[in-house]
Amino acid sequence: MNLNNKYFAIFFLLFFTSISFSQQTKEITSDSTKIESLDEVIITATRTLRQLSSLPLPAIIISKSDLNNSNSVRLNDILNEQTGLISVPDFGGGEGIQLQGLDSQYTLILVDGLPLVGRSAGTLDISRITIGNIKQIEVVKGASSSLYGSEALGGVINIITETPKSGFNGNANYRIGSFNTNDLSKTLNYKKKKLGITTFFNRYSSDGYDLNKDDDLQTVDPFRNYTLNAKVTYDFSDKTTLFVSGKYYTQNQDYIASLTLKGESDLNEWNTHVKLSHTYSKKWSSYFEFYTTRYKTKDYLDTNDGTRFSDSYYNQLLIRPEIRATYNPTEKSAFIGGIGFNHETLNRTYFIIQPEFNSPYAYLQYDGKLNEKLNLILGARFDSHNKYKSQFSPKAAARYEFNDKLSIKGSVGYGFKAPDFRQLYFDFTNATVGYTVLGYNAVATAIPKLEAQGEIANLIVPISEFENELNSENSISMNLGTDYKLSSELKFGINLFRNNIDDLIDTRIIANKTNGQNVFSYYNVNKVYTQGLEFNTTWKPISQLKITGGYQLLFAKDKAAEKEFKNGEVFARESTTSPAFQLKKEDYFGLYNRSRHMANLKVFYSIPKLKLNTNIRGTYRSKYGLFDSNGNTYLDRYDDFVDGYTIIDIAVNKTFYKNFELGLGIDNLFNFKDTQNISNIAGQIIYSKINIHF
Amino acid sequence: MNTLKSIKFLTIFALFIGFTSCDDDDDTTPLLAVETELVSNLHAPQSGGQGQPISGVFSKFDFSTGTTTTSDTDWDIAFRGTSIIINGGVSLGTIDEPSRTSEAAVYISSGTMTSITDVDSSLFIQDSNSGYAITTGSGNGWYTYAGPPTHLITPTPGKILVFKTRDGKHAKVEILSYYQNAPVNPDAFVDATPYFTFNYVYQPNAGVTTF
Repeated sequence: MNLNNKYFAIFFLLFFTSISFSQQTKEITSDSTKIESLDEVIITATRTLRQLSSLPLPAIIISKSDLNNSNSVRLNDILNEQTGLISVPDFGGGEGIQLQGLDSQYTLILVDGLPLVGRSAGTLDISRITIGNIKQIEVVKGASSSLYGSEALGGVINIITETPKSGFNGNANYRIGSFNTNDLSKTLNYKKKKLGITTFFNRYSSDGYDLNKDDDLQTVDPFRNYTLNAKVTYDFSDKTTLFVSGKYYTQNQDYIASLTLKGESDLNEWNTHVKLSHTYSKKWSSYFEFYTTRYKTKDYLDTNDGTRFSDSYYNQLLIRPEIRATYNPTEKSAFIGGIGFNHETLNRTYFIIQPEFNSPYAYLQYDGKLNEKLNLILGARFDSHNKYKSQFSPKAAARYEFNDKLSIKGSVGYGFKAPDFRQLYFDFTNATVGYTVLGYNAVATAIPKLEAQGEIANLIVPISEFENELNSENSISMNLGTDYKLSSELKFGINLFRNNIDDLIDTRIIANKTNGQNVFSYYNVNKVYTQGLEFNTTWKPISQLKITGGYQLLFAKDKAAEKEFKNGEVFARESTTSPAFQLKKEDYFGLYNRSRHMANLKVFYSIPKLKLNTNIRGTYRSKYGLFDSNGNTYLDRYDDFVDGYTIIDIAVNKTFYKNFELGLGIDNLFNFKDTQNISNIAGQIIYSKINIHF
Repeated sequence: MNTLKSIKFLTIFALFIGFTSCDDDDDTTPLLAVETELVSNLHAPQSGGQGQPISGVFSKFDFSTGTTTTSDTDWDIAFRGTSIIINGGVSLGTIDEPSRTSEAAVYISSGTMTSITDVDSSLFIQDSNSGYAITTGSGNGWYTYAGPPTHLITPTPGKILVFKTRDGKHAKVEILSYYQNAPVNPDAFVDATPYFTFNYVYQPNAGVTTF
């Protein structure tokens, strides 16, 4: 590992030296006047357009140019390079994003402000989102249920896609890389007077890769997927606009479970989004929005002689109408409020019923400048639900500007995640091993059935304990930060965060089966917290050079575990032959899959004369534990850890003539792999891309 | 390593205290010395499982001799797979399970071999027709099953089994490994099971409840 870190240092040193050389030659011809970059605008934080720099909430924007320069293909590529974000492979095969130390199921993923569905095992696989038509990515950290309801516990990631722009233009992009990975995107855009149309097509395919050559299976099986997106805007007048968008995504992947079991898995997803906006006056405007999305998967496995071994399917539907209005009584204050309705159904194998969720909701937010220096945001949302307790989610945030250089900001919010369909209605028995998993609401009917079949040896948790409703997981999140602008070239930001999560849903054994296996079900148990510090800096010493750095310190712990360590109830042994000894409070490392330190450093350098831009991006993640290896069920310092690692990506892009761009790059330059523990890092990827636009 | 050393030292120290205090208490009939032993690779195979009925002869162990035995009566504890039974109480009625002939008993205590020095007789329980005194299943008794991907069965650190033997003496046991030759980094797919390796301290003086 040290070797890897050494590489990291050496490489950056070389890079800086080469830059300073080119800088010296540059200075002679330098006549460029410094241009202050336009302040970026974010919509996710308040659902109104807001300047990022004056926002009282911790948020980041990943711009189109950052996406282009780093030649990312899928959403996980780019999110991994942001401070405090890491994509974590899920055992179900997907890749979810960890934010402020919270699991991927606690971050809401939106596209153009509307949620993606399809968390079949809790994680929403972000690698299914193509970068091709993204305008910018907005990340708001801290609970945001006051605006977005369920799932926005840790934060919100909103992917803003391109909308029709004036004129007729188009764009084609092709990237080919290692593992026969091909990514092709085409965009056509037309807008004249009232009508605007934009269409987008993406094809992404790969042969997959195999990290462990010893077994018969591939780590990632070959796949191909397509994304189609069309948007139409029509301006009835300068006050009324209609927006219609449709998206279709389909993926087909080989599904190889073993040498004798082979099949395929199919994924289909579509959504439609209709929005009618109307401005009544300077003060009032309203939006009517109708959103529908369906996420469907289908898997099968056949044995060698062609007989069907297993079939499974998953079919989720979400329909959401929403009306919202904004009211700006003065220049310095804005209200936004909305009411809406979520209708959700799921049809899935291993479910006791076809559940239906209905949930009306309403929210209101005030955003105002009380005086020149103080900005205050107050908001709250109420979610009613037919299957679980109603939720009231308030939030408050404030920012105080001491002067042009220094400001502080703080926010407190409530976030929740409703129990998902699986945690309520699952009824699954593993065909080969024989264990059973029951949803909370399935216990009362499934256990008597198992008992009648003589499969229950011993009931550990009485059925009466499942009479109350399963609570939503909820958290209170706090952020306190300061921004300091030393000069227009150099900025710093520090943010302290703490998330207190209650009623975390976990599984426990509720009965022993006569076959020696167990019956599991879900319950509210853990209280955990994540807390830490985030540091970000941007330095633009000259207009061609931008250096950004970020660091996150994280402590993510289970409160009950912490107490047990403190009380001396947890033990470990150093090797299998040595006696056990008592562990101390400081021996508790925390939750699984959390690194204490994460850092990134990115250098973007452009040479306008050559129409060339180049960058080097490094990300570091310190050691973390994936499971308990010494039998005390907790992660302590005597457990086996996954070593920390550094990944370095480099890219060079050059524009030819006016409309052609060629790119070359290497992701994971030093071919870092951990075949045992990290399934989503394939090793070094060399690629080239071509982009044509008119 | 330091922890190991200090544990060794503490053990010796505790034993020393034990001896000296015994000497002080009873001058006329000197007590037998407490025995500290390591048992390696006690093989306790089982048949069945994975949905099939479990069977197989239990491997019985006798603390007074410190060896395994096939006697129907002169045994204290017995092993089969991950199950540990005692010669006290009632049989659960599984295939090949021996009937209980004595009044041995057990409880599971949290601590280390050095920290547990007194027997709390009020905690003793025996096997019954509804379950073993040393409860089965991961996290319930003496071991933790890691599940995928390692599938390892690890003796839960800090679980000390405190026994009353069939003849009213006491022993404390720390199980160290379930794998053959107690490898430092066991591999559930390579290393053979069930081979018990355990440390025990045996108090050979009937009625004495300290170690």
